[in-house]
Amino acid sequence: MSAFLIRRLLQAAVSLLGVTAMIFFLQRLTGDPVLLMVPEGATQEAIDALRSQLGFDRPVMAQFADYMAGLAQLDFGQSIVQNVPVVDIVGSRLPFTIRLAMAALVLALGVGVPLGVFMAVRRDHPVSRIGMGFVLAGQSLPTFWSGILLILVFAVWLGWLPASGARQAASVILPAICLSLLSMATFARVARTAVLDELSKPYVRAARAKGLPMARVVTRHVLRNGAIPVISIAALEIANLLSGAVIVETVFAWPGLGQLTMQSIAARDFPIVQAVVLLGAFVSIFLNLTADLLYSAVDPRIRLEGGK
Amino acid sequence: MTANLGRWFPPRLWPFYGILALLVIAAILAPWIAPRDPNVQNLLGRLKAPGTEVRGVTYLLGSDELGRDLLSRLIHGARVSLMVAALSVIVSGIFGTALGMIAGWYRGAVGMIIMRLVDIVLSVPAILLAIITVAIMGPGLFNVVVVLAFTRWPRYARVAYGQTLGLLNLPYVRLSRFMGASTARVLIRHILPNIIGPIMVVVTLEFGLMVLFEAGLSFLGLGVQPPTPSWGATLSAGRSYVTTAWWIAVFPGLFLFLLILSVNVLGDHVRDVVEGRR
Amino acid sequence: MKRLHCTLLAAALAATTALTAPAVWADANRLAIDLVNEPTSLDPHLQWNPDSYYVYRNIFDNLLTRDDAGQIVPQIATAWEQVSPTEIVFTIREGVKFHDGSALTPEDVVYSVQRITNKDFGSPQLSQFATIASAEVLEGNKVKLTTKAPYPALMGQLVKLSIVPKAVVDAMGKEAFNQAPVGSGPYKFDGWDRGVEVRLTRNDDYWGQKGSFPAAVFRAVPDASTRVANLVSGASDLVVTMDPDLAMQLEAADGVGPRSALTERVAYLAVNGAKPGLDDLRLRQAIAHAIDRDLIVEGLLGGFDKPVGQLLTPAHIGWVEGFEGVPYDPDKARALIAEVGEPAKRKLSFATAPVFDQRIVQALQQMLTDVGLNVEIELTDMATYLKKVQGDPAQSPDMSFGRWSCACQDADGVVYPLLHSSSSWSRVRNVELDKVLESARGELDPAKRVADYRKVQEWIRDNVSQVPLYQAAIIYGASDNLKWQPTPNESLFINRMSWSE
Repeated sequence: MSAFLIRRLLQAAVSLLGVTAMIFFLQRLTGDPVLLMVPEGATQEAIDALRSQLGFDRPVMAQFADYMAGLAQLDFGQSIVQNVPVVDIVGSRLPFTIRLAMAALVLALGVGVPLGVFMAVRRDHPVSRIGMGFVLAGQSLPTFWSGILLILVFAVWLGWLPASGARQAASVILPAICLSLLSMATFARVARTAVLDELSKPYVRAARAKGLPMARVVTRHVLRNGAIPVISIAALEIANLLSGAVIVETVFAWPGLGQLTMQSIAARDFPIVQAVVLLGAFVSIFLNLTADLLYSAVDPRIRLEGGK
Repeated sequence: MTANLGRWFPPRLWPFYGILALLVIAAILAPWIAPRDPNVQNLLGRLKAPGTEVRGVTYLLGSDELGRDLLSRLIHGARVSLMVAALSVIVSGIFGTALGMIAGWYRGAVGMIIMRLVDIVLSVPAILLAIITVAIMGPGLFNVVVVLAFTRWPRYARVAYGQTLGLLNLPYVRLSRFMGASTARVLIRHILPNIIGPIMVVVTLEFGLMVLFEAGLSFLGLGVQPPTPSWGATLSAGRSYVTTAWWIAVFPGLFLFLLILSVNVLGDHVRDVVEGRR
Repeated sequence: MKRLHCTLLAAALAATTALTAPAVWADANRLAIDLVNEPTSLDPHLQWNPDSYYVYRNIFDNLLTRDDAGQIVPQIATAWEQVSPTEIVFTIREGVKFHDGSALTPEDVVYSVQRITNKDFGSPQLSQFATIASAEVLEGNKVKLTTKAPYPALMGQLVKLSIVPKAVVDAMGKEAFNQAPVGSGPYKFDGWDRGVEVRLTRNDDYWGQKGSFPAAVFRAVPDASTRVANLVSGASDLVVTMDPDLAMQLEAADGVGPRSALTERVAYLAVNGAKPGLDDLRLRQAIAHAIDRDLIVEGLLGGFDKPVGQLLTPAHIGWVEGFEGVPYDPDKARALIAEVGEPAKRKLSFATAPVFDQRIVQALQQMLTDVGLNVEIELTDMATYLKKVQGDPAQSPDMSFGRWSCACQDADGVVYPLLHSSSSWSRVRNVELDKVLESARGELDPAKRVADYRKVQEWIRDNVSQVPLYQAAIIYGASDNLKWQPTPNESLFINRMSWSE
C-alpha cells in the first residue's frame, strides 16, 4: 500500500510538471500582453520597447528556464499587467473561491442528499416527484441564465439580496445557489442510487421482516452504508465547484479565482494563469488520488497497481 | 421483446421521448420547416413581440435584436446545439474509451502515462483550453467540438480504465488471450461489449452537459461564430432583453431546458435499466 | 424522515427571515460606481485602460485637462507659451499639495515627463509622449518641454500626463506605488480590496473644485446585465459600458436612466487592400457603397451615435467640415461586383472581438451579403484580434471592425497610425500619402493642417482603405438624482458630479 502511495505521489509530481510545461508553452502560442497594454496607435518602437522590457523578445526556452528556476524556489513571479507578486493576487482571491465553493457544497449536500434519500425510500410520493422535477430543472438551465433570473427576482424585484459583489455576508447566497444547482442534482442522484442499492439487500428485508420501522432501518443502516459513494462523489464535486465557477463568478461579480483566471487569460497575464492552473491541478490531482484510494477500498475487484 | 420495449419506453417517459424526437426532427429538417432564413435581418423590425406582422412577415415567436425571425433561428439552433453536443460526445467518447481500455489492458508504463494524462487534462480548467484553442486554431463550430472533446475525454477514459481492469481476470478474456487472439480483437469483441453499459451512462450524463457547455462558451464569446444561431448564443444575447423583449431570452431558454431535461430524465432511466434497478 | 423534514423547513425559514430585513446598500455619502473590471494598476504611468484611468484620474492631476465642453484648460500648468516650433514653456501652479502634504514642484513635473518617456521604465503610454525630447525646470516656477519636431498634437497628449510626486515614488518604488498611489487630485486613495473594490476619499485640501461626495467606491462587475441590476436595485449610482438596448431597459426602469455623450471614438470597417481580390479598387468601392451607416445608427444604435463620412469625429482637431463619404448605393455595389467577376466570389474574413458590439458587426455582414459578397465573421478574443490586425498586411484579415480613439482629440492620433507606412496598425503603403501625413503632423498653422487632413480624407474615400461608420457614443447608466454630464474623453471626474437637490 505505501509503495503504491509513493509511486502515485511521484506520478502526481510528474503530472504537475506536465501541467506547468503544457500551460506555459500553450500560452506563449497565443501571443503576449504587449498589444493589449499599449494605447491604440502606439508606434512599433514603443511596442518593441515594452516587449523587451517585459522579456517577451527572448527565446521561449530561456523564458521557460527562468520560470522553472523561480518556481523551484517557490517564486511564482510577478503579474505582468498588475506589477504585483502573483502570490498576493492569488492569495487575495483564494478565500473567496473557497467561501463560494463551500457554501455551494453545503447547499448541494444539504438539499441534494436528503432529497435523494427520500426519492429512493418513497419512490412514488408526490414530494419525490416534485423534488426530482426541481433537481432536474435546476441542472437543465445554463448558469448564466439562471443567474440573471436569480438576480432579477431576489435583487431587483424583491430587493432581499445584493445582486453582486462580495462586501456583505449575504452576497454569497445568490452565487452559491446558482453554483450548487448542478452538484445538487448529482448528489440527489447518487444518494438515490446508493439507497436503492442498499434497500435491495437482504439485511434490509430481514430487518423489515422483523418488524423494524422503515425510518429506523434507513437512518440506522441504509444511510451509513450508502454514504461511501456519496463521499467519493463529494471529493470530485469539490474540484468541479472550485473550477466550475468561472461563469457564476462573472455573472455575480464574485472575486474568486474563476473570474481571475478568465480575466488573466484574456489579458495574457501568464504568471497568474500559470499559478492558478498549478493550484487547481494540485487540488484536483490530490482529490483524484483520494477518490482512487476510496474506489479500490469499495471495489475489491480492482487491485492497485504496485500494491502486490 | 414487448416486455423489453416496455422497460425502455414506459408510458411515463413518452413525453420526454416525444420532446427529444421533435427536437431531433426539427434539427434534421430545419432548412425545410423553418418559416424564414434564420440570418436575414430587418433592422426596422427589431425586437417585435410574438405574433407581430412586419411587411407581410409574421414573427410567430417574435423577432430578435437584429429583426431576425426567432422561431427560424431556434429551429436552426436545434441543429447547431444538437450537432455540437452529439459530435463532442461521440469524439470524446470514442477517444476516451479507447485510451481507457488501452490503459487498463496494458497497465504498466502505458497505463501510467495515459492515466496521468487524464489527470493533467482534468486538472486544467476547460475555459482555459477553450481560449487557447480558439487563439491557436481560430474560431468556429468544429473548433468548439474539438475544445469540448479535448476537455471531456478523460471522463470516459477513467470509467473505461476501471471497468477494463475489472474484466482482465474473467475466464473468457483469459481464454481468448491464451488462444492467441490479437489485442485489438479482445478489446473490441470481449471487453467493449462488457463496458459499453457504464460508458453509455457517462454518455447520458455528458450529453446534457455538452449542450450547457456550448451555451457557456457562447456566453463567454468563445462559442460558434455569429450569426450561427446556436441556442446558447441566442440565449446569452437575450439576457440583455429580459425586461424589454422577454421572448428572446425565454424561448431559447425553454428549448434548451426541454432538451436537457429530456436527455437527463431519459439518461436517468437508461442508467436504472443498465444497472438493473428497473 | 419527518424530523429531517422539519429541520430543513426551519432552516429555510430562518434563512428567509434573516434576509427580509431591509438591507441598506446605497449610502448618500458615498458614490458607488460599477466598472467592468477592476483597475489593473493605479500607477498612471503604467497602465492604459479605461477601468484603470476611470479611477486614477481622480487621484492625480494632469498637466492640462479638458473642460466639459472639450476645450483644453489649465490644471497643473496655469499658462503656456510656444517659444519656438519645438519648445513650449509651462507655468506651474503654485500651492498644489500632494496627498502626503508635500508641495507639487516643477521638479515633479519634469520627473513625471522623464519617467513616462524612459524606455527602461516600460510605460505602455511611451508612444503618446515619445516626441518629447527633453524637459527642464526654468526660473520662476516654469517647465520647458522640447519636442523632437514641431508637434501640434502635443497639447492633446499632455491632457493625459499625470503628475506624480518624485520623492514618494523614489521612496516607495514602482511596485508599492501602484498599490498605494499618492497624487494631488480631488480624491485620495483610501484602500483596495483586490477583486472587490477600490475606495477613494475626498481631498479636502484640494486646490480646485472640491468633490461633493465624501467618498467614492469603484467595483468590478463584468456582466452588463448585472450592472443594470445593481443600478436598478440601488446598489450602484453609476455604471459604465451600456449599449443602446440596455439604455432602453434603463429608460423603462424607475429612478435611473442612460447618460450619453458623443466621444472622440470613430467606428470604421477596415478593408485590407493587400489581399487578393481586394487589391481591386472596384471591389473595395463596392464594399463602401454597400454600407448604410444611417440605418445602422438609426435602426440599431437608437440614434445615440452619429454617422460620419470621414475617418474622424467632430470632436477632433482636423475635422473637415462638410466632407461627405462614399454614399450608400447598393445597386452600384452590385454592378461593381459584377464587373469584378470571379475574384469577388472569394470568402472574405471579417475580424472582430467581443468588446465590439456584435450586432453592428452582424448588420455589416448582412449589408455586404445583400450585395452579393461572401463574408465570414471571425470573432476572437481581444489579444488575438489585435495580433491579427497588427501584423503584416498580407497576413491580416480581409476586413476588420474597429473603434479608434487616440484619447488626444487630434486627427494626427487617428489617421497617422491607421495610414502611415511606418505604422504597424496601417495596411496602407503609399509614399505620397505618407508625405501628407508627415506634413500635417508638424504643421503649426491650423488652417493648413485642416487642408492637409482634407487631402487625407479624400484619399481614404477614393481608395477605400477604411469605410468610416459613425462617431461612437459612450453610454452610462446613472441614478436620476446624480447630477453629471459625460464628456467626449471618456473620463469620470468625480469632483464634477453631485446629487441634484
